[in-house]
Amino acid sequence: MTATEHRAPAAPSRAAQAPAAARRAPRVTHRMWGTAAFHTSAGLLSLVWLVPIAVVLVTACRSFDDIAANGLGTLPHSFTLGGFRQAWVDGGQQQALINSLVVTIPAVLLSLLLASMAAFALSRYDVPFRRALLLLMLSGNLLPPQILLIPVSKLSEQLGLYDSLYALIGVQIGFGVGFYVFVLHGFMRAIPPEIQQAAVIDGAGPWQIYSRIILPLAKPALAALTSLSFTWIFNDLLWAITVLRSDSRMPITASLLGLQGQYVSQWNVIAAGSVIAAAPTVIVFLRFQRHFVAGLNLGAVK
Amino acid sequence: MTSVNTSSPTSRRHFLAGAGAVGAAALMSGCVTSGSTGSSSQSSGGAVSLQSNLSSPQAKSAMQDLIAAYNKRGGTKASLNTVASETFRTQLPTYLTSATPPDLMTWYPGSVADGYARKDLLLDVSDIWQTGELAGYSDALKKLCTDTAGAKVFVPASYYWWGVFYKKSNFAKWGVQEPKTWDEFIALCKALKAKGVTPIGLGAGGGTAWVASAWFDYLNIRINGAAYHRELLAGKHSFDDPQVHKVFDKWAEVLPYFDPNGTALAFQDATTAMLNNRTGMMLIGTFFADAAPKDQLDDIDFFQFPIIDPSVPVAEEGPTDGYFASARTRHKAQVKDLMSYLATAEAQEIYLKGSSGTSLPTNPKAKDSGTPLVKKGRALIESAADVTQFFNRDSSDALQPTADTALTKFLARPKEITSILTAWQRDAQKIWSQ
Repeated sequence: MTATEHRAPAAPSRAAQAPAAARRAPRVTHRMWGTAAFHTSAGLLSLVWLVPIAVVLVTACRSFDDIAANGLGTLPHSFTLGGFRQAWVDGGQQQALINSLVVTIPAVLLSLLLASMAAFALSRYDVPFRRALLLLMLSGNLLPPQILLIPVSKLSEQLGLYDSLYALIGVQIGFGVGFYVFVLHGFMRAIPPEIQQAAVIDGAGPWQIYSRIILPLAKPALAALTSLSFTWIFNDLLWAITVLRSDSRMPITASLLGLQGQYVSQWNVIAAGSVIAAAPTVIVFLRFQRHFVAGLNLGAVK
Repeated sequence: MTSVNTSSPTSRRHFLAGAGAVGAAALMSGCVTSGSTGSSSQSSGGAVSLQSNLSSPQAKSAMQDLIAAYNKRGGTKASLNTVASETFRTQLPTYLTSATPPDLMTWYPGSVADGYARKDLLLDVSDIWQTGELAGYSDALKKLCTDTAGAKVFVPASYYWWGVFYKKSNFAKWGVQEPKTWDEFIALCKALKAKGVTPIGLGAGGGTAWVASAWFDYLNIRINGAAYHRELLAGKHSFDDPQVHKVFDKWAEVLPYFDPNGTALAFQDATTAMLNNRTGMMLIGTFFADAAPKDQLDDIDFFQFPIIDPSVPVAEEGPTDGYFASARTRHKAQVKDLMSYLATAEAQEIYLKGSSGTSLPTNPKAKDSGTPLVKKGRALIESAADVTQFFNRDSSDALQPTADTALTKFLARPKEITSILTAWQRDAQKIWSQ
């Protein structure tokens, strides 16, 4: 779009210079072809991304007998919202969605609070071993979580937290904080020291500097991290099934898995369940879209 | 932590498989939590907790009916906890080794249960088999639920059967009959192919590669017998034995009649292909009926896997499902009471009424759902001289992937069978020697 708009005003001036126009014509058509090719390929590429989502939406609105009789890949012969009802009521997604939010919201708030405090101390003060601490947090992120499944499961059992949402909140905070500190540290370090010095001259203590100077300045980073961590924690399945056992406490991702039968899967119900499970993250994404994109290059430039 | 679970179901499954492997590894190294008096919910109350993998909505509500009926009797109370079957499969070792395990769990008898019993993880319930309705169970089931030490560790509740399923209307339209012998079966395949129909559907693609093992199981028990089959899966014979070669020679005879998409379609899609008359028949378990539209169920029939060698005693695949209790349960007496109840005809009828109704009760006195299909299936298993479970249940979940790899390769390149079987034996040896 932008390319054509930019070229439009230039066209009349080119037409005025007749000899020059004749010389430039092939270059203009060349560029037009380039634009067309770009738009077609970009359109096709976005189609590739959108088709699976469309298939899920269409499947969610079909009846199971239709899918069983005609196959998953055919055009729909039925329209029903029964799949949504089945996923929500029979599949227990209502309770699961509540569980997910009960875990996600405190986990996001707590981990960002802790991470911002740690990042503040590490970036603004000469804490001993701060380099080692940061490297430790970074290396924690490099560790594959799979190798910690058994220890986490056994530890939560020893602490008497196994099969409770507290255990899941704790695990999510524990595994998230390292990364958030790392990102926030990079951001806070870039805040000019003069601002802090001015606050010190005005008599502010560390707590006031943190809560009234640094935290408001770190808002963009915090917003980006909020949307990222919300998506991560909400979409997590692994830790949920590691520390939880009761179906009434399982979050939405685990309950989505539960919609699959032992042998036969009701694709319409699963598709409807996926739509329900995706809704909160989509809402958060749309709300924080700007920050989300900003979050992608957070920490890219140090 | 994130890249894994945001993506497609396939990678999620792979990931779960990894998680399961980790769980299994912990089990192998005997990483059993011992201390911790724990204050987990299931031990605090008096209720017996039943951890169930029957997560499909219909089976789940059937289990809820069953537990409600038990609680209505007074006395011991039970609480049902249903988790996704995939989660259950990977977490089962963790449940069993946990300091506060669920009291009772749904799972499989035979070598799978025996594997856990040998690690002292299962409760010995020999005493409840002496009295009540369990005493009247068939000898085959009694044997199936006994571990190598001679103790009974399992209570069976239901089973299903495998057969070659087809549509009655199609067989009538094509003017063909159910075959009894291998030669008749090949003649049937030829007749269907002449009519332009793909004779045999498979459905061993898209995550259900294990379906192909049914062909291996059946050919092996028809040619070499059930006893050899069990010994083979237990590692007492080699997969590159001449007997196993004979199995694949027979398979190669019918391979030209297999659906060329057989290893591309998942079994649910293969079912659709059969219902849409694109394929003639498929060897599958009765659970596939759940994947058929309700109005087509009356049109579905099956025949016994054809007899190849009449001198081999006829065995059938009848995978059994049921319950075992954790050795560390805090409610030993109550668990046994619940297990005895689950073995009664009353309990099994409640479950069958609520579920999709294609499985059979293990209690000889319990009534099945009574449809002609189910009656035929029950007669099939009851007439069998021996009953095998299924490849993974007669061996282990660890051996199943080796079979999937070997059989998928065979279906693609049947000429390379010698090297495929050598590779299979090598892979299986790694599992057995663990």
